[in-house]
Amino acid sequence: MNPALRKLLRKGTPEPADIDALIGELDFPLVDGPDVTFVFRGTADEVYLRCWISGLDTAQPFQALPGTDLWATTIELPKGSRIEYKFEVITSGTKELILDPLNDVIAHDPFGANSVCQAFGYERPKWTLHDPVARAGSLQSRQVESRVFQESREIQVYLPATFRSNRRYPLLVVHDGVDYLHYADLKAVLDNLTHRLEIPSVIAALIQSPDRLKEYGGDDRHARFLVEDLLPSMNDAYPLRNAADARCLMGASFGGVASLHAAWRFPEHFGSLLLQSGSFAFSDIGRHQRGPVFDPVVRFMNEFREQPGRPADRVFMSCGMYESLIYENRSLVPHLQAKGVDLRFEEARDAHNWENWRDRLRIGLSWLMPGPAWMVYE
Amino acid sequence: MSPEVPLRLLLGPQRPVVNLDSAVARSGIGDGPIGVISAAWQEAEGDIDDVQRLVQNPLSDLRIYERTEGLFAADERLHEAYRLRQDRLKEQQRLYRMRLEHLMVAARQTLHTEGDPTIVAAERRHAISQLRALDRHHLGQVEKLHSRFDSVFNADSHTLLAEHAAAIEDDLSRFKTVLITGGNVIVLVNRLRLYGLDRHLRRKNIIAWSAGAMVLCDHIVLFHDRMPQGRRDPEIVGQGMGLLPGIVLLPDANRRLRAKESVRTSLFSRRFAPAACMTLDNGSLLLFEGKTLCDSEAAKRITRDGRFKRVRAA
Repeated sequence: MNPALRKLLRKGTPEPADIDALIGELDFPLVDGPDVTFVFRGTADEVYLRCWISGLDTAQPFQALPGTDLWATTIELPKGSRIEYKFEVITSGTKELILDPLNDVIAHDPFGANSVCQAFGYERPKWTLHDPVARAGSLQSRQVESRVFQESREIQVYLPATFRSNRRYPLLVVHDGVDYLHYADLKAVLDNLTHRLEIPSVIAALIQSPDRLKEYGGDDRHARFLVEDLLPSMNDAYPLRNAADARCLMGASFGGVASLHAAWRFPEHFGSLLLQSGSFAFSDIGRHQRGPVFDPVVRFMNEFREQPGRPADRVFMSCGMYESLIYENRSLVPHLQAKGVDLRFEEARDAHNWENWRDRLRIGLSWLMPGPAWMVYE
Repeated sequence: MSPEVPLRLLLGPQRPVVNLDSAVARSGIGDGPIGVISAAWQEAEGDIDDVQRLVQNPLSDLRIYERTEGLFAADERLHEAYRLRQDRLKEQQRLYRMRLEHLMVAARQTLHTEGDPTIVAAERRHAISQLRALDRHHLGQVEKLHSRFDSVFNADSHTLLAEHAAAIEDDLSRFKTVLITGGNVIVLVNRLRLYGLDRHLRRKNIIAWSAGAMVLCDHIVLFHDRMPQGRRDPEIVGQGMGLLPGIVLLPDANRRLRAKESVRTSLFSRRFAPAACMTLDNGSLLLFEGKTLCDSEAAKRITRDGRFKRVRAA
């Protein structure tokens, strides 16, 4: 048991005021080296810790602490871990999935929010936070007329703070770009890394699919949209370096599949790829077990693994150790390396979520697109 | 307007501690007007109010970066050729880096390894000589790319470029002393080279910090052991103006170099020998009268065995 809770219970049944005082004093969950204790206070029949961590039970039961309205459960988390979770509270047969009421640290994603446990050794990187000293880039909306999809698609375009029309910029194409802005602080990250000279001033095309599970899952139409619609539109509107080595495709999860697929279909167009927790499901024999939405992904990945070609010169991959896709991501590494791709693979003690992807952006972007810090001597 | 024996006052970064004011005061540079080259600041060129507050001498920025932007805007052919040259230089640098990486690993391994001293010493020497040969080859290739551009675009053959070069020369003639700020060393050296300014600066007193000091050396050596991806091997990127022969200047070395990794620092020193690798950290000062070091403060030289020794004037 966590030492603070043990101390509370040592005197017998604690007074509510003692519990109030303890809760007021401590940060939750309680981190004591590798042991992390989650605490729920309230009336319930059962309480579970729900976290989607490959390797842990998805529902970890809490124990009621005798003589109190506290519930607690302890898990072991290696140094530097970060996990997202909720509490499942069952009262009179009714299940409720809630955020941890004692923890203010919350991560958002397109499906809502989760509580965040920052284990011993994890600290949110400073470069992910708004830095008032870093000059802010700007965002503008743009319509891309798509002949492939026969419709107009709205994208967001990030321009660096020092944008000048007489310069030429590299292009970063970001799948789920608006989600990256909202949930992975992409704008602050780009502003900060540019300010620190760790990446060059870049123009980023932030695309968002209306049907990502279909279009990002190895769909030729999407690859053609990037090459035949998006790139010409961006080249017309912005001063871009018109060369593959000045173009990077980036995406997470299905966005990673879309990036790899587009670069594989059109290998001369994108010099580098940033693939985060790519949903690179494949099957060596028989049917895969990931559900029908993965059918086209598996078809593409099986084909890719047979004939990987050389989709890009440089690839940065990252994946959380606590997500089931770590196996697929690790498996992809030798396939790309065997084709002479300059590849860097980074594993993190995190899971399939936006803040994991946010925290890896510095190392990925600055490796694929090194900034002028190297040549600036102030 | 030129001094008989020009002074070269070299400083480290001017943050967090400023020593420009005290260094100028003790250098004997005098109180005449000073021309400023802040092209390494790019878009922030000319933003010299903070510098002016530090020195008594009237300052006037030569606006070389802005002038070049105007030149490029006026002559698309020149701009395109310049871009093409830069793309080729990047490609050349990429290939150099590809080869350098392997030679550096091999050289570090020979410095690390133990064994028969005679055999090991011979292999170390050879490993380092291979590095130096690659550096020489690379410098030659870079110079060829520059020469190809210079043969078409030079002050003799290109009217607009000649006009700009003459205007800068005219501006410079008003100053006995020129101050060159830190910033982007590649941008700076490219601009200076475009107008052939090494000829004119040779006869001036020069106050320079960080990147501004680096461009005065024979060669420009980029280095940074603390990039987001970790250590990066030092790279030669091209020739400097050669006003301070036999010196490789390392601004902000405290922050950029892993000074305790003596194999790396020893290799740094031996690779560029006989040039002396000298640090220019915040608060440092080196003062040369012509080519003679006559004053120094807090600057250090990397020894052959990778230690840092205080630089002392004779």
